[in-house]
Amino acid sequence: MRIFIRPLLLLLLIFPCIQVVSAFDLISERVRVSGFGTFGVTSAGKKQFGYHKELNHDALFGEVSVFADSVFGLQLDANLLPNLSATIQAIAEERVQYDFNNIVDWAYLSYQVTPNTVVRAGRMGIDLFMLSEYRNVGFAYLWTHPVVEFYTPISLSHYDGFDLKYTHKITPGYLEFKVYGGQTGSDIKVSRGDLNLRMRPFLGANATFESDDWKVRLVYATTEVSSIRSRLDQLLGTLNSIPQSIWPQATTLSDILDGVNERASFYSAGFAYDNNKWLIQSEFALMASDWPSVNMTNGYLSIGRRIGPVAFYTIGAYAKSRDSLTKVTSPLISSPALNQLQTITQNVLNAPRINQNSISLGLRWDLHSQIALKAQWDHTWVRKHGGGLLILKEPLEKDITLNTFSLNLNFVF
Amino acid sequence: MRRLIISAKLVLIFIVLLPIQVNADIVVILNPSSGINELTRLQVVDIYMGRKVTMPNGKLFVPYGHPTNSAIRANFYKKLIGKSAASVNAYWARLIFTGRASPPKMAPDGLKMAEIIETNPNTIGYININDLNDRVNVVFRFGPDE
Repeated sequence: MRIFIRPLLLLLLIFPCIQVVSAFDLISERVRVSGFGTFGVTSAGKKQFGYHKELNHDALFGEVSVFADSVFGLQLDANLLPNLSATIQAIAEERVQYDFNNIVDWAYLSYQVTPNTVVRAGRMGIDLFMLSEYRNVGFAYLWTHPVVEFYTPISLSHYDGFDLKYTHKITPGYLEFKVYGGQTGSDIKVSRGDLNLRMRPFLGANATFESDDWKVRLVYATTEVSSIRSRLDQLLGTLNSIPQSIWPQATTLSDILDGVNERASFYSAGFAYDNNKWLIQSEFALMASDWPSVNMTNGYLSIGRRIGPVAFYTIGAYAKSRDSLTKVTSPLISSPALNQLQTITQNVLNAPRINQNSISLGLRWDLHSQIALKAQWDHTWVRKHGGGLLILKEPLEKDITLNTFSLNLNFVF
Repeated sequence: MRRLIISAKLVLIFIVLLPIQVNADIVVILNPSSGINELTRLQVVDIYMGRKVTMPNGKLFVPYGHPTNSAIRANFYKKLIGKSAASVNAYWARLIFTGRASPPKMAPDGLKMAEIIETNPNTIGYININDLNDRVNVVFRFGPDE
């Protein structure tokens, strides 16, 4: 399937560049077609430490890739009745798992109840972050890719359910309240292997104030892990089968590692300011859960300066797990198999812990009203046993630094 | 040589006239049946930045705009909110690809825009003052220095 997707993605990326001028105007009275894309070249990671900007993407181990940041999306909006519309968005990009379920990013019906109230139902974009509903639309934001420390830990793009949005004018801007519910999931790649994650129910509420220059957001969401399919299942089974008399900690370790039925709550605050000269954006979040893999805090501050068609920017970001490292004690009976199991369990416990920060420098150059060229350098410090956002081929027993270079051509039509 | 001088003169005239065409006054127009004679800048900003704005008759304004890469569209948004065409498109990309709003419907040129507004109640548009006729109401005009 991947062999098929790659040339298709390349073709899709090249084609709209030629058509870009006219296609943005493909609007009829009933149906509108719009699209976006990014053609990106990325160099990232090291031989033993793989980098990916989304957990549902393959990692780069020091090589240059034209697929890590490349994406193509098409959206169809249709007005079915005066107050009822339908939207479908399909995405072609490098992913861990390709199937129809992953390619159709959105498919929903939207009903305008009153001029201030809209209800939607179907598959919709997850709205946890400032960029999360348009993280694939590179032209719509400043950077070459969303800030890894903030956006990568939650690599969810959509959920199936409903949302209700109410907008109220408060001069000089608008206040928007949104509540949503449904179920979500993702096929992701982490150091311990591919993971199929399903979460239900997924519930949340956002409050946003937006004026011409300012945007301020508060977000609360909560969900429960309903199922996980991964290679870890075998390890959990083995740990559970060991009698307490041989290894008293074994079942406790299995409980710590098993995320099923664990609840996670997400709290976030962010703002964006754009006065056409200065572009400042910041978000901070806290994820609280008994499952150590997702118990963390993260945040970033981005400052940009626009001079004519060029904007220069810098970003500082961090992500840190809140739990201290779980120390695996030795089994009471020593055997090579049990000792190996102890080492594996310790490594599996260490692997998802996150402790990294980065600084980035970049520029965005608007070549055309629908095409932007961007370049960015990220310098990342990853602490010992803090490589949860990386794909580790060996345990991270020391602090490391990584450099990521990305060059993007972004367009909308 | 004579042909070359004529061509050079034509190019010069074109260059001199071009900014006049681009910077011609832009006015916001409404169908006279709306009963509205004036809109504030904030109202025009809201209507053309994808926010739902109701008319006194309770209906929503239906905004019409010009083609994405037209000079009048770039000029209109520059005067209205001080943003470049690329920044305006980035803003609209955020609205379109999050399903928050649809962009204004399209009129191919100024004359067609005037025709759409004069024949459809609740519609609002903007045109160069040269394309203005007396069958539509001017409800907003930019100041002389804008």
